[in-house]
Amino acid sequence: MFEKKNKASRITATAMLLAAVAVAAVSARSYLEMRSPPPGVDRVVPHKGFVKKHLSDYFDGIRDTPADTDVYIQTGAEPGGTVLVLGGTHANEPAGVIAAVVMLERAEVKRGRLIIVPFANMMGRSHTFPQDAHPQTFSFTTASGERRTFRYGSRTTNPVYEWPNPDIYIHPASGQTMAGVERSNLNRTHPGVVDGSITERLAYGFMQLIKTEKVDMAIDLHEASPEYPVVEALVAHENAMELAAIVTMELEFEGIPMRLEPSPVNLRGLDHREWGDNADVLAILLETSNPSAGRFRGKTDEALILTGKDKAYQKASELGRLYVPYEGGSEPIAKRVARHVTAVQLLADNLELVREGKGVTIEGLPGFGELTTNGVGAYLSD
Amino acid sequence: MDLKWVYWGIDVLAIVLVVRSLYREKSLREQFVAAMVLVPLLLRAFFIK
Repeated sequence: MFEKKNKASRITATAMLLAAVAVAAVSARSYLEMRSPPPGVDRVVPHKGFVKKHLSDYFDGIRDTPADTDVYIQTGAEPGGTVLVLGGTHANEPAGVIAAVVMLERAEVKRGRLIIVPFANMMGRSHTFPQDAHPQTFSFTTASGERRTFRYGSRTTNPVYEWPNPDIYIHPASGQTMAGVERSNLNRTHPGVVDGSITERLAYGFMQLIKTEKVDMAIDLHEASPEYPVVEALVAHENAMELAAIVTMELEFEGIPMRLEPSPVNLRGLDHREWGDNADVLAILLETSNPSAGRFRGKTDEALILTGKDKAYQKASELGRLYVPYEGGSEPIAKRVARHVTAVQLLADNLELVREGKGVTIEGLPGFGELTTNGVGAYLSD
Repeated sequence: MDLKWVYWGIDVLAIVLVVRSLYREKSLREQFVAAMVLVPLLLRAFFIK
């Protein structure tokens, strides 16, 4: 079709130019929609009792910036401890976001306080990673048939807010060197820098939230590729290890396999390390298995996000290349969300054992069996 | 110093050069390649903030 013998002309050049402009315009429009999503996308319906604040209420350095995010607090009738739950530190790990949203819409706190930040890094929600071909949204259907749509974002802050990154990122608190892009990764910039880059300031905001609200336990919800060693895991700072061990055993008793991983002392910038080192808080990170973020995956669409069904991962599993079981050739989001919700419930239930007088009682959360049977949509409000 | 306009200027210069090449090429294949190169340059011009 395009052999050299075909003579080009000004007319064909103009046609090609117009085609390029059209493709760029359509792509640009699609991407710009992620920055200002239509009404209803990323909507949350907090359970009664939650009070909405902003992270900038704790650190003015992110006020009126794209880093600011909503913080929801529910206080029980009985005094107790304070639990913080973060979803969306990495916006391409949807089970973490959705588990936080389910808890926000279902939790009834009877004792202590529950703080939920469903979209920790808003700046990661306005783009997808180049060349990863991820869909920009995914949806659930609620019990009454309503569609609830959420953005599928990226692991890092959108470059429009923070660019260019250095070739090598030097973690300010430790001097540890990392790949330059990690400067835009919220979970490599803790405990943050008061006058640093926008992602470093966001991390600083979370540190201030933990200190100001005297958080007893902080849990960050993540997902990882099935071929990544730390998956279906609970990563705990050494000060949270006793509680983490208790909960890991309880999860195993309930038939939910969970690895217990110590937070590496020499891997800096991660929340489970920096929060625990810099505040009197039990810092824990949870990982589920997410084929839609993995390198082996094939066709990348909304179905892959929701079902985790992928032929390449099935093959990898048969060859013994995965660190986790891949039963039935799928890893549905309902199961991944259920793992997170169940683990958070057990961590809160057992907090009193390691922090006397600081227990937190949360009711109303769906159990593992309920979520996996009825699906996520059944536990989202209209 | 805000480097935004420097980046934008470099991008616009690249667009001008590629459009010039597009009109100078004698084969459809080369024109097609030039058009493909234009897409990310146009997107970049759009997204530089």
